[in-house]
Amino acid sequence: MKREQARPSVRVWDPFVRIAHWTLVLTVAGAWLTQVGGGRWHEWLGYAALAVVIARVAWGRIGSSYARFGRFVRSPAATLHYAQQVMRHAEPRHIGHNPLGAYMIVLLVLTVILVSATGWLYTTDAFWGIKWVEDLHQAVSDVLVALVTLHVAGVVFTSFRQRENLVGAMLHGAKRPPDDRDVE
Amino acid sequence: MKFTVIAALSAAALFGVATSHATGLATCDSGPRETWQPQERLEKMLSERGWKIRRIKEDGGCYEVYAFDGKGDRVEAYFHPTTLDLVPTSRYPR
Repeated sequence: MKREQARPSVRVWDPFVRIAHWTLVLTVAGAWLTQVGGGRWHEWLGYAALAVVIARVAWGRIGSSYARFGRFVRSPAATLHYAQQVMRHAEPRHIGHNPLGAYMIVLLVLTVILVSATGWLYTTDAFWGIKWVEDLHQAVSDVLVALVTLHVAGVVFTSFRQRENLVGAMLHGAKRPPDDRDVE
Repeated sequence: MKFTVIAALSAAALFGVATSHATGLATCDSGPRETWQPQERLEKMLSERGWKIRRIKEDGGCYEVYAFDGKGDRVEAYFHPTTLDLVPTSRYPR
């Protein structure tokens, strides 16, 4: 145990990933809190969230290794296998995103884009006051709230399973060094 | 562990239910529906003002109107259902 503590931690989340993550948290939370009556703040927070997500997707192509989508998005079969391992309490620790977390990120990114796009659409002359646009914006927002809830639950769950504070890791970027069974 | 997940999900669900019925920009003390003026009358009144109506719905006991005003600007405005008076909000008049 002592020897393990002496080993240096690994830097996993680069500053871009961390700043993007927490900016997204703030903008989505802000947009959610200002939803009643809409207004300028609600709109600009929504556009800011969209900008963060687009930047994150771009960074997911060109950014540091752990930030890249190609690195953490696995095949459906591999993801199912991982989920089964989780059920059996036998999943390996992933230094980056685990396969389930990876798909959550993809879903969150897509949903934020949908929420922002439908919100913007509702402010255009062509779709002003159109009921289905408002309803769709509300529906995808509800989906986003549900996904965020699951995301947080997954983070808490995995933190306990791995005995590592993953919220802290997203703040300072560092994680416990891998051992032989971990997936890098 | 399971407890933490269930607790987090329940808290979020409760939060969602508690906030999903929030009203919009205004409320009208408009009494029973029988005393309301018909929506068509409001529509006619605004059309005569040069407004183009997109949709009228009820929100917080008011008529909520989505329209373009005489200048073609987007308008979201509230009207009292018994008097058809404009109910000022943060959106309109600006």
